[in-house]
Amino acid sequence: MPAQLPFEGLKVADFSWVGVGPKTAKYLADHGATVVRVESETRVDILRTIGPYKDAEPGPNRSQFFGDWNTSKLGLTLNLKTPEAIDVAKRLIAWADVYVESFTPGTMDELGIGYEAAKALNPSIIMVSTCLMGQYGPASPFAGYGFHASAMAGFHQITGWADLAPDGPWVAYTDTVSPHFLAATTMAAMDHCRRTGQGQHIDASQLEMSLHFLAPQIMDFNLSGRQVSRDGNRHESAAPQGAYPCLGDDQWCAITVETDVQWRGLCQVMGEPGWSGDSGFQSVAGRWQRHDEIDERIAAWTSGKTANEVMAELQAVGVPAGVVQRSSDLAEDPQLKHRGFFRNLDHQEMGNVPYAGDQFKIKGYDNGPRFAAPCLGQHNEMVLKELLGMTDEEVVELVIAGAIT
Amino acid sequence: MLSPYTVLDLTDEKGELASMVLGDLGADVIKVEPLEGSTSRRIGPFVDHLLNGEQATEASLHYYAFNRNKRGITLDLESEAGRQTLLKLAETADFVIESAPPGRMAKLGLGFDSLKAVNSRMVYVAITAFGQDGPYAEMAASDLTLAALGGPMSLQGVPERAPVRLSVPQAWLHASSEAVVGALTAHALMIRTGEAQFVDVSAQTAMVWTMLHGMSAHQIQGYDFNRGGSDVQLGTMTLPIVYDCADGHVVLITSGAVLTKMVHWWVEEGIVPADWIDAEDWPTYERRLLYLEPMNKDLDQVVDAARRYVANKTKQELLDLGLREGVTLAPVSTLEDLARFKHLEDRRYWVNAPLPGGSQTTAPGLLVKLSETPMSVRQWPPRLGQHNQEILGGSLGLSKSEITTATGD
Repeated sequence: MPAQLPFEGLKVADFSWVGVGPKTAKYLADHGATVVRVESETRVDILRTIGPYKDAEPGPNRSQFFGDWNTSKLGLTLNLKTPEAIDVAKRLIAWADVYVESFTPGTMDELGIGYEAAKALNPSIIMVSTCLMGQYGPASPFAGYGFHASAMAGFHQITGWADLAPDGPWVAYTDTVSPHFLAATTMAAMDHCRRTGQGQHIDASQLEMSLHFLAPQIMDFNLSGRQVSRDGNRHESAAPQGAYPCLGDDQWCAITVETDVQWRGLCQVMGEPGWSGDSGFQSVAGRWQRHDEIDERIAAWTSGKTANEVMAELQAVGVPAGVVQRSSDLAEDPQLKHRGFFRNLDHQEMGNVPYAGDQFKIKGYDNGPRFAAPCLGQHNEMVLKELLGMTDEEVVELVIAGAIT
Repeated sequence: MLSPYTVLDLTDEKGELASMVLGDLGADVIKVEPLEGSTSRRIGPFVDHLLNGEQATEASLHYYAFNRNKRGITLDLESEAGRQTLLKLAETADFVIESAPPGRMAKLGLGFDSLKAVNSRMVYVAITAFGQDGPYAEMAASDLTLAALGGPMSLQGVPERAPVRLSVPQAWLHASSEAVVGALTAHALMIRTGEAQFVDVSAQTAMVWTMLHGMSAHQIQGYDFNRGGSDVQLGTMTLPIVYDCADGHVVLITSGAVLTKMVHWWVEEGIVPADWIDAEDWPTYERRLLYLEPMNKDLDQVVDAARRYVANKTKQELLDLGLREGVTLAPVSTLEDLARFKHLEDRRYWVNAPLPGGSQTTAPGLLVKLSETPMSVRQWPPRLGQHNQEILGGSLGLSKSEITTATGD
């Protein structure tokens, strides 16, 4: 560990929930910031109700979906429907450098803790507001999850098979795209504030951020009218390309042939079967024309081998190949092990459990989650007394008022 | 916000979004391309009429989408003159981003150690498929194989067929946008320690995070999630979320908030009998289902009613109805639907992008709206070598002949 962590000393009030806001605040928490995650027992974060649950036993403190998104944070429960809790929220905002929320637009204003109120409490506050559609505009009240934004952004349309209804990406895809951009923007605002003392309100629409992942196709449509759609695993710039069946139950290896050199590599590994010499197969365009036929031949070859064997043999000749891995495979993946990707931390209720690590490593710094995610209300007393300086009597009054539930 | 900083962008399609985000956030980005141009200039879709002419290097919309807010120069990094010029540029750079295979930059004498020697306060970001070292470091990769090895593919597609990726490449975009988070985190560390930082970004791990709650499923609960087409596995239940409508598909989740209103619509249209309204405590329907409580109307009945309700309505009708009534009904947009979505127009999201060759198109706009320091597109993607004179002659003070030697101009 370096003498200091990147965001040590930074204070974050995280009023957000579900995916994008919590992940954004998690980056700050994992890298040293003191982050107070505000929740309520009266409206439990949906991630706590989804799982995966430790040992498949449901419970609000047993979900690793919540866990992975909320490492290195302190847990505070506040029932914002009580005026006493709003007072605590205001003290938290006055304490914080960064204030994150993901409610339906207008909610924080109604609660008296919108941007103007926050700025009055704390002139250099950086307030991060994230929701599906943004803080204003006709569809801004549209309240939903990443599934909905993913469909509306066009990601469902491009995932699946051309002859079937869209499958869509695995669950809430825009929740996987948006945090990269939102965390980067928040960090840029923090750097700006460090240099100038100026705070900021960030209005982040998860739809708008995510559309950058389709930017070339959007620009093409607006220029030429061409619409991209789903086509399994195929793309005309690389043929053959697909996931091919291997030995075992539902085992697959993904293979991409982008160049003629790679095609010759594939043929060599398959033992130069007679069919592969077909003059029509010696260019990407030619192979694209007869993709089905080639796929059948390759599948016949891969079916006799394990997915790992196919990957190893093709990688030996420089052909991009990769096993289609499940979470059980990821747990054993030698590269993820080498990077120390999963790291075990002690959780109050779940015990010693693995947490997913960072997508980047900073040399000389073993970066990753610092401590386990909080149970509901785990740090109530510590946050109220130590961070906000409340007395025992004040805390008791909050309990009596039902504010810290 | 990042206007005091300079970024040297040495990437190709594997990292160009990273430096664009820094540019959108205000940094001065200098894109350094090989003499023949970034390989991303050869990736489609293309502006068709430029493709076979003299402006072929300017025809790629892929290049155009990820290189705004950058100025561009060409340098032959294999040559001594090119190498020296890059070292000189690195002296004042706050960020250097590259996406070469592991070890390639060091071999050119332009790795982290060489650059740190001329600038002890820089952040050096390297984007690769699997990271700088380890058993996979040298492996060949594609968007598809990264989706496979990263895991999300195992969860996508119908069970009767092979697992699928998204049909538009995503892996390098996840890695690139994550690289910005790494760059700014390392920059904060550099400010504190005064020492140059090296950031090693892995596209594979970026893809692992796209599995969301699927990534550590087996280690936590003892079993993997499996692909189920458009059905979604949430906790203890499996939910269809994509429904056929009159002109395409719509995504809806039969959650309490949605059902509370929809049940009334079903009764009004005669899809279900009136006793459905009081048959369940609809606002808590989904929660009770998750906790496996006995129900009066089971999920199959509910889903069937929803299917029948949306089947004869268009995407636009459903979206408008949902917005009016506060019920989340999300059309599965085509790019055409997206272009027509009035909300984005009202937020002035889209930007008009002038293209080489005189045409123009509409592009995704700024990432977020900032109250105090609005973002803007200050510079459209550079033509190959467009700023050679301005940057190398101007700020760097190279003579005309030195520029020619370094850039091949």
